[in-house]
Amino acid sequence: MTVQITAPGFWQSEFAVRFRRNRNAVAGSIIVAFVVLVAVFGPFVAPYAYDDTDLLGTWAEPSREHLLGGDQLGRDILSRLIVGARVSLLVAISVLSITLAVGILMGMIAGYFGGWADGLIMRTSDIIFAFPELIFAILVAAVMGPSKLTVIVSLSIVWWPGIARLTRALVLQLRNELYVDAAIACGTGPFTILFRHLLPNIVAPLIVRASIGVGFIVMAEATLSFLGIGVQEPEPSWGGMIRDGLVGLRTDPYLALFGSMALGLAIIGFNLLGDGLRDLLDPKIRDR
Amino acid sequence: MLTYAMRRLLGLVPVLAVAVVLTFIAIQAIPGDPILIMLSDQSADKALAARLRAEYGLDLPLWQQFLNYIRGVATGDFGKSFRFVGVPVIDVIKDALMISPVLALAATALAVPVGVIVGVFAALRRNSWADTTVILVLIAGISIPNFALSAFLVFIFAVKLGIVPVAGWGTLEQAVLPVTILAVPPAAYIARLSRTYMLEVLQQDYIRTARAKGLSRRLVVYRHALRNTLVPLLTTIGIIFGGLLSAAFVVETIFNIPGLGRMAIQAIFSRDYPVTMAIVLLFTAFYALINLLVDVLYGVIDPRIRLGGGPT
Amino acid sequence: MTKLAMLNSRAVLIGLAAALALAGAVEAKTFRTNIRADPAMMDPITYSEIVAGDVLDNIYEGFSEVADDGSIVPALATKWEASADNKTWRFTLRRGVKFHSGREFTAKDVKFTMETLMTPGMKGGLTTTYLKKIVGADALQKGETKELAGVKIVDPYTVDINLVEADVLFPIYPFYFMDAAIPAEHGADWWSKASAGTGPFKFVHWKRGVEIKLDAHKDYWGGAPTIDGVQFLIVPSGDTVLSMYDAGALDFSFLPELAMRRALKDPRYAKELISVPRAQSRYMGMNQNLYAPFKDKRVREAISAALDRDAMIKGLFNDAGFPLHGVITPGVAGYNPNIAKVGFDPARAKKLLAEAGYPDGKGMPPLEISNPPDFKDEITYYANQLKRVLGIDVKVVTVERATFIKAMNAGEVPFFPWGWTAGYPDANYYLSQMWHSKSPYNRARYSNGQYDALIDKAQTVADPPARFKLYHEAEKILMDDWATIPLPIPAQVALRKPNVKNVTMTSYGYSSFHKIEIQ
Repeated sequence: MTVQITAPGFWQSEFAVRFRRNRNAVAGSIIVAFVVLVAVFGPFVAPYAYDDTDLLGTWAEPSREHLLGGDQLGRDILSRLIVGARVSLLVAISVLSITLAVGILMGMIAGYFGGWADGLIMRTSDIIFAFPELIFAILVAAVMGPSKLTVIVSLSIVWWPGIARLTRALVLQLRNELYVDAAIACGTGPFTILFRHLLPNIVAPLIVRASIGVGFIVMAEATLSFLGIGVQEPEPSWGGMIRDGLVGLRTDPYLALFGSMALGLAIIGFNLLGDGLRDLLDPKIRDR
Repeated sequence: MLTYAMRRLLGLVPVLAVAVVLTFIAIQAIPGDPILIMLSDQSADKALAARLRAEYGLDLPLWQQFLNYIRGVATGDFGKSFRFVGVPVIDVIKDALMISPVLALAATALAVPVGVIVGVFAALRRNSWADTTVILVLIAGISIPNFALSAFLVFIFAVKLGIVPVAGWGTLEQAVLPVTILAVPPAAYIARLSRTYMLEVLQQDYIRTARAKGLSRRLVVYRHALRNTLVPLLTTIGIIFGGLLSAAFVVETIFNIPGLGRMAIQAIFSRDYPVTMAIVLLFTAFYALINLLVDVLYGVIDPRIRLGGGPT
Repeated sequence: MTKLAMLNSRAVLIGLAAALALAGAVEAKTFRTNIRADPAMMDPITYSEIVAGDVLDNIYEGFSEVADDGSIVPALATKWEASADNKTWRFTLRRGVKFHSGREFTAKDVKFTMETLMTPGMKGGLTTTYLKKIVGADALQKGETKELAGVKIVDPYTVDINLVEADVLFPIYPFYFMDAAIPAEHGADWWSKASAGTGPFKFVHWKRGVEIKLDAHKDYWGGAPTIDGVQFLIVPSGDTVLSMYDAGALDFSFLPELAMRRALKDPRYAKELISVPRAQSRYMGMNQNLYAPFKDKRVREAISAALDRDAMIKGLFNDAGFPLHGVITPGVAGYNPNIAKVGFDPARAKKLLAEAGYPDGKGMPPLEISNPPDFKDEITYYANQLKRVLGIDVKVVTVERATFIKAMNAGEVPFFPWGWTAGYPDANYYLSQMWHSKSPYNRARYSNGQYDALIDKAQTVADPPARFKLYHEAEKILMDDWATIPLPIPAQVALRKPNVKNVTMTSYGYSSFHKIEIQ
């Protein structure tokens, strides 16, 4: 027996209406959509290969050939910014997937089972929280050596405890709900309860948390690459481009300035969108 | 109160102890032989390498190195620098010791008033275009990484206008740009929070009562609302400090400021682990202390949490 | 605590401002220049790196020194003679040389310095290498004896050095002789409090991260310097160096590579700019044991012909670079001005690679080019250029410096550009250390018996023209075999204020500061 439910169109839903009224969320989603489009399709339309050097055109000024100029090896800045968007997003998506998977699992175990598992997981996160975030990431990067993988691993290590703590708090809130007790009484296994019954109910705040995190992760990746312990040549990273550009800021400012603009704009977009989503999805602050 | 502070202080010990152990493990795990960087082009000289290894105690079994390290840290001796052969770490970092905290304090001193003023301003004009603009600027302030912001500000103020120096440390002019750049994200953060708190406070009954009694809007805002906005802000100081210490790594490097942050980056790249680890430990301890101080202060100001949760 | 911190920093600020003001006004005749980092040490025994050398050169001296034109002139020895077999050297020491302590320099100081360098636990650095052929060096280094048997004091002004095998270059090795009485007077960290040399300037203090200060040595044997002292300001950032030079805080600035572009581009510096080639042999190392295609000479030549050196000099070095066509750099004794030129020839490169069986790079196994992070731009260019011209896929890998040097020394790096800076002004330094099969620094592990024999023979030939002829033959063997690919050398660039006289850059770094005049 099936009941056909006619869902109201998405654009008429309450969420969509409220979203469209939130100016910041709209601005953010436009910027993010643009960055994502550039990252996905940009490399196919980029005017040059991102690694194509031209020593006779180092630090070239913007011109018809190179719309945003050339870098210290004469590579096209525009093409490298476009590929850099893809690198940035790839790192952000990897870190988010890892931290969400690990953080949610750890948080649910800690919150649901309590006891020594809870103690172990929470003390581990305490230790990671004891270090300022970036300093811990730098320490991990120093151990692993510079690479894109290093960035992903080190950022995942500093970022999962936050997700775990949030998940734990949410699970603790829901643990004593009637439907959980009912499920336990029916003999449902703990993991079924966690993933079938609890997870769907805590997903919204986790999405908010993750969306706010994207901006942080993009910034942290750029910072590590800026310090030389992130993405390596010839692959472009916005942070690395800004570092190379700062050297020439006095004589040839284009690399640093365009790199900074791309990075700043992308993070602003992610943060605007994250804020907007928080306002819309987090019931506690819905009416603020 | 004192017992609460003491208990919190004792609670730091295991965290710092684990931090010490972690840093030791990190030292061991970092690839690259420190002796070889000391020798540089003489690195094929095996006899010399062996002598240096003994001098630094790196020929001992790992557990013995660990004990030596723990004993050293406990007595404030971080060992000898690998880069400055034979020089104690303390001597290497002592001149740089206070620069990062001073930068962080100066940035906080700048960020708090600016942030509060902007936040209150926006709150009082809620939902106006001014408010929306301010919010956008604040989000930009939090979003743009300090090195990208440095690129813009150095280009405009040092390169084009030439009103402040490009880099360096020692004069007031040289401190202007780095302190400003450090202060931007915390100022934006504080402004956002104070806007939110202010809006919350303005909804409270006692404010409405005060207004109803005929007190001027200005008096209500500054006498009553502002004070209640500032208290919850205090808790964010810890987070702000953590951010500022991290930012010091980048800003000191860009502006050639001889502080611990720049020194840590140089130490990482020259594989001077004893110096790197000493700085990481110092920053961690400093961060923990600030957080503790904030908690204790908060307890003083807000009696509700005075007893750390326990019923007495 | 907070307040204290503020006070501290203010004290630092005020102190610095005062120091700067003093440097500007009162000590007008102090010569101010910059070094890019703190030196790793400040004593002549553990001395092992370039920045320390720039400072120590003014405090300490050896038997001989390098004049500005690269020739060898007597310093603390006035005369040296070899026995017929070139195994014993007799040095006649200069009389009346005063240490900074006021004591006279004699043969015992020579013996003391050499023994200290070799004594276990003393961490003897770079100069230790030059002592290895002395009779009894092994025994002393192993701790079996306390004396260096091969160094004999004949009288206070005569010293004999006995070597295990002939070494005609012994007199030009750059030693830093030190005052034998100093360690006993001042203890193990004497170098932080005392000055133990004979040079024109004496050590005053080293403020880490800030400056190193030297004062004139009034009793210098070559005559008292006309300036009061030298201040080496420690400035890591290139931009800061230029700002300080512009503000008049530096009389002479040795520019870091990153600041060169700005100085070279700005016409107002043109009259104050000094640009000289470095005494650094740059090359592309190809280890034939690690990457099979390198065994084919045609592949090696193809790679050389694929590199556009003119573009590199223009793009990477801002036109301040010099091409190198062999191993020996111009300005070093033994340089061959008539060496055949090495050039960019993409058509020939493609043809050679095809002949070797890899048309358009097809069939080449995966190849990595690696270097420390400082040189990432350079290796990124090589990888891209080899792809473009030859179709070879080359992966760019940056490796932390110490790890990289270790791997190179172990002969584990297949493909790398590197530079080798001459420690003394004779081509033997390059030829014997870089490409002799017995050298630990033969990092590409090239091995050629005929070449080794020529170098071994050259060490016993005292007559320079005859020796240089052997060098040229040896260098030709390397080039004919494409054992090495010469790479262009970036210049050393410095700025000098017009009122400063008698100081310049040489291929080895600063010229002597002894005769500097500030008007």
